[in-house]
Amino acid sequence: MRESLVIFRRELKSYFYSPIAYVFGVLFLGVLLYHSVELLTNGVQANMQGFFLMLPYVLLFFLPVLTMRLWAEERKLGTIELLMTFPVRVSQLVAGKFLAALVFLAFLLLLTLGLPLTMHAFGGIDWPPVLGMYLASLLFAGSFVAVGMFFSSLTRDQIVASLSSIVTLFVLHRIGEPATIELANAWMPAMLVDLLSGISPHRYFLSIARGVLDTRDLLYFACFCGFFLYCNALVLQHRRQKG
Amino acid sequence: MTSPNPSPAIRSSLAAQRGAVAALALHVVLLVLVLGQIVYLGSRFHRRFDLTADRLSTVSGSTRTIVDKLDKRLVVEAYFSPKDKLPVNLRQTREVLDNFLDELVQIGKGKVVVQRFDPNEDKAISDRCTRIGVQPLDLRSQSSTSLSVDRHWQGLRFVYGGQKQKVVPQVAPGHWFLAEVQLTPAIKEVATEQKRKLGFMEWPATAVGQQSPGGIGWNMLRTHEQIQKRFEFQNFKDEDGALLPDDLDTLFLFRPKDLTDRQKYVLDQFLLRGGTLVVFADAAEYAIGPNRLFTKLPLALDAAGSERRFTDQLAAYGVDWKPKVLADMATQAHTPRDRLSQPFEYLAVPQMTPFGQQMSSVFYPYFFHAVAADWAGSAEQLATRDGKVDKAIAEAYRREFKAGMPTDDFLLKVFKQIGRGPGFYWPTWVGLRERAPGVPDLPAGVSGRVVLWSSPAVLAEDPPQSLDPLGRGDARARVASLQKFQQRLMERFQSEPRQQAPLMVDVRGTFPSFFAGAPRPKRPSEIKEEAGRAEAKAAGEEEPDAAETPPDAMGPPPPKAKEAGDEAAPPAAEAEPLQQALRPGRIVMIGDSDFVRDDLVRGDHRQGGGPWSSLGPVFFAQLLDWLAEDQDLLELQSRVPVDRKLKFVDGDPVAAGDPRLAEQALRAKTTWLRTLNVVVPIGLLALFGLAVLLVRRAQKRSFLTSLAG
Repeated sequence: MRESLVIFRRELKSYFYSPIAYVFGVLFLGVLLYHSVELLTNGVQANMQGFFLMLPYVLLFFLPVLTMRLWAEERKLGTIELLMTFPVRVSQLVAGKFLAALVFLAFLLLLTLGLPLTMHAFGGIDWPPVLGMYLASLLFAGSFVAVGMFFSSLTRDQIVASLSSIVTLFVLHRIGEPATIELANAWMPAMLVDLLSGISPHRYFLSIARGVLDTRDLLYFACFCGFFLYCNALVLQHRRQKG
Repeated sequence: MTSPNPSPAIRSSLAAQRGAVAALALHVVLLVLVLGQIVYLGSRFHRRFDLTADRLSTVSGSTRTIVDKLDKRLVVEAYFSPKDKLPVNLRQTREVLDNFLDELVQIGKGKVVVQRFDPNEDKAISDRCTRIGVQPLDLRSQSSTSLSVDRHWQGLRFVYGGQKQKVVPQVAPGHWFLAEVQLTPAIKEVATEQKRKLGFMEWPATAVGQQSPGGIGWNMLRTHEQIQKRFEFQNFKDEDGALLPDDLDTLFLFRPKDLTDRQKYVLDQFLLRGGTLVVFADAAEYAIGPNRLFTKLPLALDAAGSERRFTDQLAAYGVDWKPKVLADMATQAHTPRDRLSQPFEYLAVPQMTPFGQQMSSVFYPYFFHAVAADWAGSAEQLATRDGKVDKAIAEAYRREFKAGMPTDDFLLKVFKQIGRGPGFYWPTWVGLRERAPGVPDLPAGVSGRVVLWSSPAVLAEDPPQSLDPLGRGDARARVASLQKFQQRLMERFQSEPRQQAPLMVDVRGTFPSFFAGAPRPKRPSEIKEEAGRAEAKAAGEEEPDAAETPPDAMGPPPPKAKEAGDEAAPPAAEAEPLQQALRPGRIVMIGDSDFVRDDLVRGDHRQGGGPWSSLGPVFFAQLLDWLAEDQDLLELQSRVPVDRKLKFVDGDPVAAGDPRLAEQALRAKTTWLRTLNVVVPIGLLALFGLAVLLVRRAQKRSFLTSLAG
């Protein structure tokens, strides 16, 4: 645990010391907020759903940029060998990096609180579902980070890592969308469509985003992240054993 | 080049690599299996927490109460097509439905069983569906090469105790609470032994320029599917004035007028036997024709020849009905709930705007609603004249003025949530009888309360001949007419003292008879019969036999035929008049009947600019449960999301002054808020980054300096 915390601190510092992270943050917030301020219209219901429904799409294209460097850069710079010599388990390394990325994202999401606060000031907002939606967004972002980290561990090329993440996340996201399910129904066996749409984080995100916290949705996100993080650790372990 | 026969070391290395890959693959497979198992177990034993303040995704207390009350087993037969064959939209509703049924089984604790059938799989099941009334949904399905019609099923049958059943032919709720709103009343209906019987008498409004020769009544609400499921309305308006049956406990009077003494007697006896009288009253009847000229039509409360006034009768029970028309000058009271999208709730006129012709609401305080505000708090503002507060008057106002909705009854729960009551149209004053202002003067054994109050800015007047604010003519003439209308009301408002008008009253107790000590008014048939007898007597004929008395369809059993030799016995008549109440009765009187009348509920006048009773049906539904003191469905009906509209400007921006300036101010504020919400977080992040960069640079410099030193 202590080792994970050390890695976590080191990674988190690297985010805040890196200008790229700020550029990422400014762009992420800019795109997200610019398209969400339409919610601030006199006479409409104070509701953050529009913001949270757009968030997955912004995360889809921005998160891989953040996660692509997590392992690929270490490999490119040769620091991964150094990391592997640390007296820590691979799982602790993975956990530390994952948590740091998540905390950085939480920090960025925190900066969007101005929107619900404004709504609260001018209309009175229902806070518990909003907080639930923030939690859902964090879990959703976590699942994307886990996927991005996994692809970053597979290659030393950051662009490849980023593109593979984007494609995978895009597919994962789309298969949970009603329109895609409708389309897939035409040529795929129904059971397979059901299975695939069941894998998509999209539907679980929507479930939490409507204001209901279900242990099934939380468990799904935990399992989804766990699966990709475990695979990530397996890849690194394999590499460490190979020397 | 690889050697055809690798050395044992290489072979061992390759085997090790293959082993490692196999181990990796095994790991992943095992992981998927374990996670799959966890997810499966998690879905079997799960908990959900509804975070919304309105609990819109949770089974309400109503459903719980109804399920708790089940004393027999409720079998829910779900005739569902397989989920994976449904189109996406229906699939989402299926998820909602499945969740709801799961929850129902959980809270049913064994009393609720869900049985699922797939009508697509078995012809016998689809035949059964057709037989019991579950309806298929035929949807066209189109692909690049074919066009087909797919038959989907999503209906339910509730079977209670193996006997009573209720079929919901199709159900596709888009949200949890919609599932509950649809299905819980169905469960209640199947589990309730019988419908509640309600009586009514109506005097329909005169239809002007419309195809309703019988006048405009209130059939729409009475015959609404959801209401009819639970209540049975029966018309008791009998021309012969028969007494009301003993098993009737609630009687509605829709716009009573032309009341004969006999009808008043019938109502009196009904109350004395413990009945509940609900009156939707109007002081005047105004025509809403195609031109909406709002001209007064003749209306008399008492029939010609009636010796007793209906208002006196009500006063005898403790109800004070002043047949005046009210206008509420408070802006909150006469502004439509959604003045932008539904200005026709009250009165609107078409207006040309840059976006084309749109409806725009106009000042018309004769259509208004009670506001959920404590008016005592506005005493100082109302006591201000020429910029100075008259403290004595303010103090008096503080004592005198009441909250617009002073009770916590569930009747008003949903309205308190939205901050206003249902819209009333040319309402009238119905309050408690008072011996002095604010001091009720109720008969012994009677208690009462006012349920709805207007604002303290109400004006009361005898119904004028016309209440048309616009008149006829071109646009300019109409504007001038409106200004004149507004000015006239403003002048009255300035000169008349502030007062609050009661709009709804609830009185209950052991009422004294309005006809105590007086002979009971005779039925028209009796009068006719007596006249006949008198004529016959005069002609020297014998009296007709009582057995020939025409049978009475509504009232008590007709007098029995006299036995032979029983000539001395008096003719059998209806029950002796009650002088004192047998049981406590109740009067609920609402100072408006228009809010439930068909054309307003249906929205016939929306195209022309209103009025439209948008909240009337909700109030009526609540009223029925409130009268029945049936709280089972209370929470279900109160499940309306809280209104959380964003208001960037206080009050009514348009009414406050120049609409263009108000619009500009609103736009400026909106832009400012939006900009702030984009720029501030980004700016904060950039500043934070800059600060970190500077600190790092300073640290680096000092480190280098220390090295150099």
